[in-house]
Amino acid sequence: MDLSAVGAAAAEALTLASFIGIGGGVLLGYVVGVIPGLSRSVAISIAIPMTFYMSPYIAISFLIGLSKGTAAGSAVSAILLNAPGEASSAATALDGYPMAKAGKPKTALQIGLIASVIGDILATIILIFVAIPFARVALMFGPYEMAAILAFALVFIAGLSGGNIFKGLAAGGLGIFLGTIGLDNQTGLPRLTFGYTELMDGMPLIAVAIGTLALSEMFVQSEKLRYDRANMSVQLKNDPNDHVTMPILRRIMPTILRGTGVGTFVGALPGLGPSVGSFMSYGMAQRAAKDPSTFGKGEPKGIAASESADNAVIPAALIPLFGLGIPGNVSAALLIGAFAIHGITVGPLLLRDNPELLYSIFAGMILASIIMLALGWFGLMVFAQITKVPPHVVIPIVIFFCLAGMMLQGYGTFGLVILIAFAVLGYLMKKYDYSFVTFLVAFIITPMLELNLRQSIILSRGNWEILLNRPIALFFIACTALALVMLILRTVRTGKPAANAPAD
Amino acid sequence: MPRSDFWSGLVVAGFGLLALLWMIPNYAGSNPFAQMPPELVPNIAAWTMIVCGGIVALGGLVRMLRDGVSPVSAEVNWRAIGWALWPFVYVGVAIWVMTFVKLTWFGVFLIGGMLFLLGERRWYMILGCSVVPVVLLYVLSVYLMRVGVV
Repeated sequence: MDLSAVGAAAAEALTLASFIGIGGGVLLGYVVGVIPGLSRSVAISIAIPMTFYMSPYIAISFLIGLSKGTAAGSAVSAILLNAPGEASSAATALDGYPMAKAGKPKTALQIGLIASVIGDILATIILIFVAIPFARVALMFGPYEMAAILAFALVFIAGLSGGNIFKGLAAGGLGIFLGTIGLDNQTGLPRLTFGYTELMDGMPLIAVAIGTLALSEMFVQSEKLRYDRANMSVQLKNDPNDHVTMPILRRIMPTILRGTGVGTFVGALPGLGPSVGSFMSYGMAQRAAKDPSTFGKGEPKGIAASESADNAVIPAALIPLFGLGIPGNVSAALLIGAFAIHGITVGPLLLRDNPELLYSIFAGMILASIIMLALGWFGLMVFAQITKVPPHVVIPIVIFFCLAGMMLQGYGTFGLVILIAFAVLGYLMKKYDYSFVTFLVAFIITPMLELNLRQSIILSRGNWEILLNRPIALFFIACTALALVMLILRTVRTGKPAANAPAD
Repeated sequence: MPRSDFWSGLVVAGFGLLALLWMIPNYAGSNPFAQMPPELVPNIAAWTMIVCGGIVALGGLVRMLRDGVSPVSAEVNWRAIGWALWPFVYVGVAIWVMTFVKLTWFGVFLIGGMLFLLGERRWYMILGCSVVPVVLLYVLSVYLMRVGVV
């Protein structure tokens, strides 16, 4: 590790601009996380246009801070409202809400916060120590290996990120098809642009992301309003006995460490996402408990298990992103878009071409965790008030910012038409259970997949036997085939997906 | 569920077929000298949609036949459809208005109108929630990003 680069990164993280950018991201994330129905990916997709004027380091750290903030903030609504801000905090509500109803809302919130911060910091440290050696190995990979790994990641995500495998693959196919729109980089001729010069650079990523994630989600939420407008928030009072104590902390610490391990493992695998991590950690904590019957009735370990895993997933999901350039979930896929907007290619090349930026981002992530703890601890009463904001107030404001994001990007009316088209598509995908996660990841990685595939075919001159000298590529091709067969068999036998949770 | 699987699978497979038979041959371009023709990846994607959409539709059809479910429902809840559709129409009209007026100038009415339609009647909530986001956008676009009023 280059120590001078590490020193420079630490110095950059401690500047006022860095504090404002990252602190702003965490604060915004916290607010978004507290509001039920607004997810992490919705927040990131809307926030990307706001980062245009920032430096690459501040922009990426802002978005990662936002991501971390939403994970911590979603616990607030899960505990006080029994309505998790994110699907991944649903496990937190199982014990958090009963504890809050029993007159200990502040204790529940503090346990959630401490577990979130510890899980987040430990997973960030693991990311730092794993991603760099990972990227060094990945630098030795050629186009054969990269094409095989990308295909494997896509199949894995299609199978695990909700819906049945065939719906996942169909969504992936649509994502790949739309991802090929634009100038063909070998012939230089327009491909599938239908005569629109606006499509020469491809389908605008911001329009696709905001439309599929944010705008469509607001349409889904407004439809739900017809059936459900109840708000049953637990009030936070100044009770001197309602706070986390040392004995509670000592009791939950092993659970937090286990949850961090589970979250890190799940986060590093593409497609699984924080929901799987938090429920897996909750289940393990319940099985390990002396009296499992206390779970679901306000058990502190239940909150700690869920929140530590949920927050550990976020930094861990960046391991394949920084190591290989592969997004493991939607948030990571959106970060690729944000990197691209700032002219940076994410993946192993980032370590070679721009190590200072990588170290700065790591330093910014640690800073974000510390800010998250301070904001969560001192702003608890304020964030608790946000749970009272009804969804019908949130929906028009988010729709306004979706439209504003497109205008800031400079796409004009054409971009807005694309935006609403993808909002309709996203709405239908959510309605009919087609994985929009697979769709979006496929859309984003298609240019990379096609480039590596093309290079492989040119280098091998169409001779497939060359793969016999490429064991890593061969291994991932075999894994892709095996994963495909297993996921299809599972869908056919049980009629259910392997894991029915969005890899957000 | 089987009904929605049947129809959604048909739509996906139909789109794949449309891509394969019309879009790719006419708009994907071709290069007979390239080792990897430009239409290869779109073709793979189209075939994936046809095969997977077809399997989803077939699965839905089999379950419909087994359970004796009709492919179309006689009970149509027009009120529910209307409630689901109006936000799309509202945003569509807003986009049309944006071809004439900048978003910052009519954002207050866009947010306020939707708040009203969603059932908000408190004037101070409508005013506050409409004005603050527009002011934030103005500050962001004019002073921070310096792209002017959007």
